[in-house]
Amino acid sequence: MTLAGAGYRWLLLALCAGSAAASDWPVYGGDAGGRHYSPLDQINRANVAQLEVAWVFRSGDSETFGAAMAQTSAQSTPILLPEAAGASLVYCTPFNRVIALDPGSGEQRWDFDPRIDRGGDRPFRCRGVSYAEDRETPAGEHCRQRLFLATHDRRLWAIDAIDGKPCAGFGDQGRVALYGSSGQAPGEVSNSSAPVLANGVVVTGSTVIDFTRATTPRGVVQAFASHSGVPLWQFDPLAGHPDSGSANVWAPMSVDAEHGLVYLPTSAPSPDYYGAGRPGDNLHANSVVALELGSGAVRWHFQHVRHDLWDYDTPAQPILFDWQRDGTRVPALAQLTKQGFVFVLNRLTGEALWEITEQPVPPSQIPGEITARTQPKPIAPPPLLDGFLMPADAWGLTPVDRGHCRRQLAALHNLGLFTPLSETRTLMYPGSLGGPNWGGGALLPGRGVLLVNVNTVAFTGRLVPVAGEPGERELPTAGKRFRVNMAGTPYAVEIESLQSFLGLPCNPPPWGKLLAVDLYGGRILWESALGSVHEMGPVRAPLHIEWGTPNLGGGIATAGGLFFIGATMDRQIRAFDVDNGTTLWRQTLPVDATATPMTYSYRGRQYLLINAGGHAMFNRGSGDYLYAFGLPE
Amino acid sequence: MTIKQSWLTVLLLASSCSHAADFLVTDPAGEPVSPAMVTASPLAAPPVTLGDMGYPPHGVTNRAAVTLTRFTDAAGRASLAVPLDAHSIRVRALGFVDATLSAPAGEGPIAVVLQPMSREQYIASFPSNVWLSQLRFGGDAGLKKTFQLNCAFCHQQASPFMRNERTVEQWLGVFERMNSYGARLPAEDHRRIAELLQRELRDLRENPQQVPEPRPWDPYLAGYEITEWPIGDGFSQMHDFLLHPNGFVYVGDNLFDRIYEVNPETGDYTVYKVPHRDGDTTGGILGNRFTVFPKMDNTMGVHSFAYSQRDGNIFITPSMQQALLEFNPETKAFTIHEMDAGYYPHTIRTDDQDRVWFTLALSSQVARFDRDSGEFTLYDLPARSVREWLVLKALPFIFWMDPARRPQPAPDREGTGLPMPYGIDVAPDGRVWVARLYANDLAVIDPETDEVTMIDFPYEGPRRLRADADGKLWIVAFQDSLLVQYDPASDTFTDYPLPVRNEIPYALNVDRERGVVWVNGNQSDTIMSFDIASERWRVYPMPRQRFFTRDIEVAEDSGAIYTSNSHFPSWQTEGGVPTLLRITPLAQ
Repeated sequence: MTLAGAGYRWLLLALCAGSAAASDWPVYGGDAGGRHYSPLDQINRANVAQLEVAWVFRSGDSETFGAAMAQTSAQSTPILLPEAAGASLVYCTPFNRVIALDPGSGEQRWDFDPRIDRGGDRPFRCRGVSYAEDRETPAGEHCRQRLFLATHDRRLWAIDAIDGKPCAGFGDQGRVALYGSSGQAPGEVSNSSAPVLANGVVVTGSTVIDFTRATTPRGVVQAFASHSGVPLWQFDPLAGHPDSGSANVWAPMSVDAEHGLVYLPTSAPSPDYYGAGRPGDNLHANSVVALELGSGAVRWHFQHVRHDLWDYDTPAQPILFDWQRDGTRVPALAQLTKQGFVFVLNRLTGEALWEITEQPVPPSQIPGEITARTQPKPIAPPPLLDGFLMPADAWGLTPVDRGHCRRQLAALHNLGLFTPLSETRTLMYPGSLGGPNWGGGALLPGRGVLLVNVNTVAFTGRLVPVAGEPGERELPTAGKRFRVNMAGTPYAVEIESLQSFLGLPCNPPPWGKLLAVDLYGGRILWESALGSVHEMGPVRAPLHIEWGTPNLGGGIATAGGLFFIGATMDRQIRAFDVDNGTTLWRQTLPVDATATPMTYSYRGRQYLLINAGGHAMFNRGSGDYLYAFGLPE
Repeated sequence: MTIKQSWLTVLLLASSCSHAADFLVTDPAGEPVSPAMVTASPLAAPPVTLGDMGYPPHGVTNRAAVTLTRFTDAAGRASLAVPLDAHSIRVRALGFVDATLSAPAGEGPIAVVLQPMSREQYIASFPSNVWLSQLRFGGDAGLKKTFQLNCAFCHQQASPFMRNERTVEQWLGVFERMNSYGARLPAEDHRRIAELLQRELRDLRENPQQVPEPRPWDPYLAGYEITEWPIGDGFSQMHDFLLHPNGFVYVGDNLFDRIYEVNPETGDYTVYKVPHRDGDTTGGILGNRFTVFPKMDNTMGVHSFAYSQRDGNIFITPSMQQALLEFNPETKAFTIHEMDAGYYPHTIRTDDQDRVWFTLALSSQVARFDRDSGEFTLYDLPARSVREWLVLKALPFIFWMDPARRPQPAPDREGTGLPMPYGIDVAPDGRVWVARLYANDLAVIDPETDEVTMIDFPYEGPRRLRADADGKLWIVAFQDSLLVQYDPASDTFTDYPLPVRNEIPYALNVDRERGVVWVNGNQSDTIMSFDIASERWRVYPMPRQRFFTRDIEVAEDSGAIYTSNSHFPSWQTEGGVPTLLRITPLAQ
């Protein structure tokens, strides 16, 4: 064999490895376009009921961090590295520890702890890490295969994928500070989603507390050279709006490397619920923005909420796929929104592939608040939930609690979606939880079918005149009233779930659901309740009661005709039939699994993996589990 | 003060503020676009005092942000008498993308080049009526009429946001919600209509070539000017109004118990809040169906207007009370005339004898108020069946019950129990004519004998009617989309198809002086006129989309007509606020 021949074989091996990796969950979201889809079909409709625990890994966070675990949310989805990078499963814990595991046994290979500054008010979460082969580093050298991590304390780390050691040539001994150039203070700003990578560029957003002040930190998106950590560009979504802040990108981004575009799901401007100090549409908040990877220049943008007053962040990773109509294929992007819409856009131009109708919306009663007169709504698919809830719709277990709910609903302001908050309690349906949230959706390739989990619990909110002090607030947990002074405004905002004296929601179940949406045909194919309420009462019920629960985290679809999802407040992971929503399998976990699962094949066996650690907002216990399931060997 | 007394002020204002601005509108090839609608809106709305629920307090005068619209002639030219530096200009034409100019400057005509819409934009821009025209309801024409009768009297039914894809369950939720607001879609039809709307709207969206183009704009439009006075806010509903001999227009905000006294010459308007009795609550005796609305203040329910030819006092039907309102436009004083029977005072007219006539829509009666005696006389209109008779006789008991616990009506397709006398007018011979919307009949009352005669109306949905100078009746057939003439002398009906397809006309008025019937549009963003002698129609496009009109007043001297945009809810209309609108023929 000649050297050239050896080189050719190496290249072929690399390509094959890459190909294998593509089917084995190499990035957060399954692929760079966030489709949450695996072509694996060893586990399928016929045998999914036989799934059993293959191994369990515990990170040790519960023992190490003790009481601090109550402020965590385990949201990480592991990735499987290619052979060249060690073929490890890698994920991050809420405290940003990065752990590599043997995919077959779950045994730990290495652990990297960035020892984050745990100051500040933000809860701890980490949705994932990103992998790239750095072609500027010679093959075989340290950090040729590298991982990127954006931390709670606003640092971007590059570490070697094989040994977990920092990449000395990246920034300052493997890290760059994300707050240095923009004045963002650790504690008020953090990172939760994995950075995205393509073409030698690593891009990261931020998470900002956006409701406590009128002018919160800017939601600047930053790009660095993935080899050196040298800053390349920054993008401030709210450039030109000095009296506001945020519009940050906390949800996962997507990348189209072929076309050199990164897609940013931007959040609401600050403060969330009062906009008199930020007149106008507040571009580019509440948008999906396509930036050129090389320069950070805006290629196109689409704003799905103008002058947001509801905290309708763009919560979910833009889903990149090929949309089809009449035999024509269009490179497309599907954007889920908290308000329950699915916008389908040409991802190269931003042009809407389903007509956008301008929905007239009611004005505000708050002095100085000028709402947008219309909000965009796709003519199809239909909304994932109906934004109206009338007194006659009130639900209760008994006539007494139903009557209590009916009276509450009759006293609420409610003109449907986009009713602005006023000094009278106003229905928020969906509330800032969504609708969909950061779990995104899973897309069946070639069929254009989107599977998405949705929250359907109603909230209420009102603005309370106050002379507020910055930062006065009560952090919400399940079923609690949330109140925070919006410093720099004349109001505090008060939000609570709409429930009866029994603590049950006032809207009819399901309170969480799973939908299949035909993005080619613009219609909903089926809906199914997602979650059982048997653990939500004061006493655990002996049987599952499938009325749906609030849910956080996403699901994944496979070629086996299955959709796997945890996310619910019942400690379950479930498998649904993608064609009809029938539950085919479920397994009880130690704590709620508010993370998106993943699946991979290793040495001929398909595994299903999910992070089970609970969610601070659910207030139902925490843990540090990683569960792997497989068919019996 | 009457308007004549303020002429000097007007002339001074006109001479100091108005300039003629000329426009030349072409397509990209340089060809004139005719007609194109050229609308001037103030860049900054005049400051207003809004201290009462976001509205001007009682008796306080503000100035409206008046907009002016004209149409280009065959050469693509139009002139507007506005100072350009204080206005934005919007140019609109069928098939073209709106062009907007902010305070345009320059010498000579301002050139505006309109860009053609894409095919998708063009189809999406079509008004509600052409989309609605293609909804077949599975071939069940009766079902479509039921839908139109019960669902098309508040807002447009096939506007872009009504065409959005909904699941069947979401449509059912819409029907239940609308019925709770006062719609009367029979429950037995809900699911079928939901399924048909989902299927047929989707089919139209996927095959938009089925949707016919809206009626083109006509060259005669260059001979008209449209003025709009935005009043109230997105929660208001400017239902009916009155052009008073004193020159003011009195507009009723049906949802907020307020009357807007508009001076069309200056744009000034003064708001008068209608009083109510202590203890009366929102929604009046009907109960509040809009508890979830952020704003609602309609204890009385200002509905319809008429004035006394003797002293100019204005009579108003408060639909939510057993009463009649009287307003003295000189002293601005209100008087409440209490009634001890009858439900839902509706449309009102006065006669030459200074008697006040109005329909009582729920109790199927007509009321006559004699001003000298202060007494009411009620005329019972017959029930259509024993069951209906029982329902009507039970009304006092039903209204005795707490509104919150009152049984809600469950109407059938015939509206049993709800014959609903609606429109009313006094013919030149003094006879009083009434249309019953659900019963599809007419009543005529001879005031001299008090005799009531019923006449079958061979069409569906007689909503409002008017008599012309010859004593012939003109009636809109709502869900039949027709203008109908009834000749009492020969007892014959003649129907005239409307000039726009699938319009669902709410009301009309007759310019007796000129022999012209003006018909309200609400689905097509148009107003229509019908020349009785020539039987020719003219169609006038409205400057705002989702323009829903329910009333027309005619200025006898100029032939101008007034209407209001009473789309409910108002925030769904283009611009988000209701307006009073005048169409004025330009001097030739």
